[in-house]
Amino acid sequence: MPLSGRRFQPKMEKRPAWLTKRLVFDPAVQETEAVVARHRLHTVCAAAGCPNRSECFARRVATFMILGDVCTRGCAFCGVRRGRPEPPAADEPDRVAAAAAALGLEYVVVTSVTRDDLPDGGAGLFARTVTAIRAARPPVRVEVLTPDFQGDRAALETVLSAGPAVFNHNLETVARLYPRVRPQAGYRRSLEVLRRARRFGSGLVKSGLMLGLGETDAEVESALADLREAGVEIVTLGQYLRPNPGCLPVTRHPRPEEFDAWAETAKRLGFRAAAAGPFVRSSYYAAEVFRSTGT
Amino acid sequence: MEVKLPPLGNDIKEASVSFWYKKVGESVAEGEDLVELSTEKASFNLPAPAGGRLTVIKAGEGEKVAVGATLAEIE
Repeated sequence: MPLSGRRFQPKMEKRPAWLTKRLVFDPAVQETEAVVARHRLHTVCAAAGCPNRSECFARRVATFMILGDVCTRGCAFCGVRRGRPEPPAADEPDRVAAAAAALGLEYVVVTSVTRDDLPDGGAGLFARTVTAIRAARPPVRVEVLTPDFQGDRAALETVLSAGPAVFNHNLETVARLYPRVRPQAGYRRSLEVLRRARRFGSGLVKSGLMLGLGETDAEVESALADLREAGVEIVTLGQYLRPNPGCLPVTRHPRPEEFDAWAETAKRLGFRAAAAGPFVRSSYYAAEVFRSTGT
Repeated sequence: MEVKLPPLGNDIKEASVSFWYKKVGESVAEGEDLVELSTEKASFNLPAPAGGRLTVIKAGEGEKVAVGATLAEIE
């Protein structure tokens, strides 16, 4: 077929059958939505249009997204809105803690938009949120999924000092694709964030990769080795799904068995836990993945 | 009972119908897959929220449906 007159675009594969997600009808979905709305919070589940949303909400699980729903970065894989965010809300930590309690969560995942506009990148609010959630009785474990804080060591240590059980920062993709996928971030910088978190010694360190952005298997293996070398103990691998036509196309859909093989590879490389699958997201069944480390 | 398109995410306003697993007049059990839907980001199977006979299909294959709109009726 002649390609003349057409701009070259990476091929977008048709979505295979294993990427059809079953929606869950359960009153608990609306209850979870109501708890989030009542506390005027955002979830990355809704902001990113996550296909697992109804499944997790039916289990009364949600991943809170603090510091607003507008991001200062424009990563080419992400569906979260980019723009000029509002100033942080000082009472947000208490609202997250109250919502987590209302849902009965024993393990809470907190993430945020990237706030390059704030002097501390939002680290202070992150830390206060961890502290507020951990004040609950019986004690609640917190997993934070943070931006890179532009490599700011003090900001990172502010978050870690609040005592999250898991510090998560996603590497997202392989080194070669960084300029295209995360133009305002750096592969080495993200690895350094993870390495510093590990050295700080508070809780486990977690990271994740997306597949389907144009990476080769050799590059994925190399990224996994880099994560291990940085001291990362938990890794997630999932299918990249394009949130809107303005984002990068999906280059491939590895079969579920290929994800299983990546989990095996990760275990062989020494990760304590590896979650891999087409619908695996960074926070998908995060409590169960954490418990599988035996910590 | 009306089968409505549930919320799928903040910026997802509609989905298109890929195909119906059931024809009008057929019976469907609660929880059985009723229709496959597609958005830019993902594909979904929507299970029947109740058992009964499928009496009306409001959106044919290839048609777009807004979140909250009625997809079908089950009696």
